[in-house]
Parts: sequence; C-alpha cells; structure tokens
Amino acid sequence: MNDATYSVKDAIKQLPTNIKQSFTRREAGTAEQEQAATVFGNLFLHLHPVRVHANALRPSYTMGLGLISFFLFLILVVSGILVMFYYTPSTELAYRNMKDLEFAVSFGIVLRNIHRWSAHAMVAMVFLHMCRVFYTGAYKAPREFNWVIGVCLLLVTLFLSFTGYLLPWDQLAFWAVTVGSNIASYMPWIGDKIRFLMLGGNEVGQMALLRFYVMHVALLPLVAVVLVGVHFWRIRKDGGLSRPTEE
Amino acid sequence: MQLARKEEIFAKDGNKTYSLMAIVEGESLHVERGPENTVQTWPHLMVRELLLFLVVLLAILGVSLLFNAPLEEAANPLHSTNPAKAPWYFVGIQELVSYSAFLGGILVPAAIVVGLLLLPYLDRSPKGIGVWFSADRKLANTLFTVFVVAMVVLIFIGQFLRGPNWIIRWPW
Ligand code: HEM
Repeated sequence: MNDATYSVKDAIKQLPTNIKQSFTRREAGTAEQEQAATVFGNLFLHLHPVRVHANALRPSYTMGLGLISFFLFLILVVSGILVMFYYTPSTELAYRNMKDLEFAVSFGIVLRNIHRWSAHAMVAMVFLHMCRVFYTGAYKAPREFNWVIGVCLLLVTLFLSFTGYLLPWDQLAFWAVTVGSNIASYMPWIGDKIRFLMLGGNEVGQMALLRFYVMHVALLPLVAVVLVGVHFWRIRKDGGLSRPTEE
Repeated sequence: MQLARKEEIFAKDGNKTYSLMAIVEGESLHVERGPENTVQTWPHLMVRELLLFLVVLLAILGVSLLFNAPLEEAANPLHSTNPAKAPWYFVGIQELVSYSAFLGGILVPAAIVVGLLLLPYLDRSPKGIGVWFSADRKLANTLFTVFVVAMVVLIFIGQFLRGPNWIIRWPW
C-alpha cells in the first residue's frame, strides 16, 4: 500500500460516500446483489431470507394475520411507553391519571384509545392467525414446535391484555379482574394460593395493581419479545412458510 | 465445516455468477431446485409488509379518533357492578363457570391449552399442508370449527345476552 494515496482532501471529498457505506455495510454491485444486501446487511431485516417463495406473498394464503399481530404489538409497545409517562400504579393516582390523559394531556385520549383498541385487536388477530395456521395445516412437521411457541404467544397475549385491563382502576377494571382472578381460585387445593400470589393479597388492591403493572410493562412484554423472536427465527429454520407440495 | 466438505460435489463454475453458499438439512427454499419459484425479499415482500403496516396503523388511528376507550367511575371495592363481567376474551369461560365452577374455570381451559399444545404431535399425517380447508383433513377441520364456533357462541352469550344477576335477557 502506498501512503501517498491517503490525503485528507480526498477523504473529505469522499466523506458522504464513506459514511454511507460504513453505515449500510454495502458496496456497489449489480441490482440483484444490492437488493440482497438490503436484506442480509441489516440486523432487523435479515430475519428474512434474501429470496422468498412466491407462495409466501399470496395475501389469500396467510391473510397477513401473523404480521398484523406483530404490527399491533409494535404499536402497543410505542403507545404503551408513551402512556407510561403519564401513569402511576397507585390506587390513589391511577384513575386520576386516566382522567388527565382524557382532559389535560394533548392528544392523551387518542393515545389511550390507540393503546386500548390495538390491545383488543391483537387478541382477535392472534386468534384468527391461529385459525389460519390450523386450516392450512401449517402446524404439521416440521413446524410442530413453532405451533407450540404460538400457543405460548397466545397465552402471553391474553395475559398482557388481562393485566393491562386492571390498570385504569375504574369499576370496569376492578370487577373484571375480581371475576377473572376468582376463576383461578376454583383450582383444587392450590386455587386460593395461586389467587393470593396473583393479587399479592386476598383482594384486588394496591398490591394487585402493582403486580399487574410490573407484569404488564416489564415481564410479559419481555417474554413476548423473546417468543416472537424465536417464532420468526423458526419460520426460517423450518424452511419458510408452509406451501402446497409441488410435483 | 460442512461447506468445505461439499465443495467438490458442487464444483465451482467460473462462468456462473452465483455459488453455493451453505448446505442446510431438511426442506428449505433452495433445496434441489433453483431460485425459480422465489422472488427477491427486497423489494417484493418488504414493500408489501410496509404497506400492510401502514394499513394497520391507519385503521387503528381511524378507530381511535372515532371511538373513545371506556372509562367508568373510579374503582369502588364496596360497590360491585351488576353484572361484573370479565374482559370479552374470558367471558366465554365465565359463562361456563356459571354452569360449573370447576368444569368451566379449570377443566375446560386446561383441556383447551393442553389440546392445542399436543395437536401437532397427535395429527402426524402430512396431508393437506399449505391448502385452505384441504379435503384430506375433513375430520380435523370439522373438529376445529366446532371448537371455534363454541368459543364464539359462549362469548356472545356471556357478552351480550347476560344481564344483571347473570340472567339471560335480550341485548336491547
Ligand atoms: C403474538 C402472537 C403471534 C405473532 C406476532 C405471530 C407472527 C407470525 C408471523 C408474522 C408469521 C408469518 C406468517 C403469517 O404472517 O401468517 C407466523 C407464522 C406462524 N405462526 Fe405465528 N404469530 C403469533 C401467534 C401464533 C399462534 C397463537 C400460533 C398457533 C397456535 C402461531 C403459529 C404459527 C405457525 C405454525 C406459523 C408458520 C405458518 C406457516 O408456515 O405457514 N403463531 N406467525
């Protein structure tokens, strides 16, 4: 290598190109190579293979339901973080925070609506996604375990929604969670213990609100992110989306 | 390294612009067939994904501008609502609980979860993968439809037909 070829003047001239290349990890190539690099050169996009089977693109096959569930989850994470800025998990303050969102915070009511409606929609979409997977036989070998991960995701989605239901601390929330947690106590022998563990007491109160809050904003989202990651990784490892056998 | 071992079988051809990158076990996109049935992920798949994201976002925004999330009076542990209903996705279970606490609250939910978890290990036939409502899967499709319809009916009854004291009434 010749030292003379490195001059600061040239470096400044090439600055935009060099910064761009170091950021995208990409060098010029054929159109096809560049398209491929777009996917595998990006941490977030490389969960996808560079090429996918045409069947995976048919909207009438997946109906996009898994993807819709994922997008709703993303919307929930973003709107959830914003709602957290205004929320205190205290029986004294929680309800007042809700009223503030409605009347004092700019667009607070829209923010709350987004979080609420996305949560309901996600439960419905995950269930419909499961129906799609069933009716297309997509749970069969080699995708058995991804179905199992899916069932765990369904449960996590339900618990996320249920723990969030208590947080506004209004009559709807309080009595729905009272009814819901009573169901757990019907388990023989350990039912009451489980209910106690869930609520941090014998009744829905401050301890229950705090427990539901921690589960809702920390524990369950973390579990969901990990499971979704494994779910997507498995789709690739299992050979992409299921499709009819071709002769 | 598997790659190094297989190299001589798939000898490199100087006239080709592609080469074998990796060998993986099992059925995968490229096994024993060229890239004929595949398309570039970027742009074909990802543009569609982005579009779908926009549609989902717009739909949620639209609904959120039109309808407000419910907020009742502040929680009052001394004064129960009548009826007190679980969130809609658990109302089907609550409906079953009103018939029998143990059956509806424990047995049926546990059976559903265990049944779902075991499903792919019980149904081992490879028939009908990748086809909606495959005619080879009449029994499985029928059973699952019965399950889905039962869930929907129970949720409907619990959510819309149950009034104060959990008595059946018309929703209007
Ligand atoms: C948070 C919930 C979930 C998310 C975000 C999610 C996401 C996805 C996505 C994006 C796909 C790609 C295909 C598509 O869009 O349909 C997929 C496929 C799949 N999902 Fe899910 N899913 C979830 C829950 C479930 C559930 C509840 C099940 C079943 C019990 C399940 C089982 C599967 C299986 C087996 C596949 C592979 C399908 C195929 O190869 O055709 N997933 N999932």
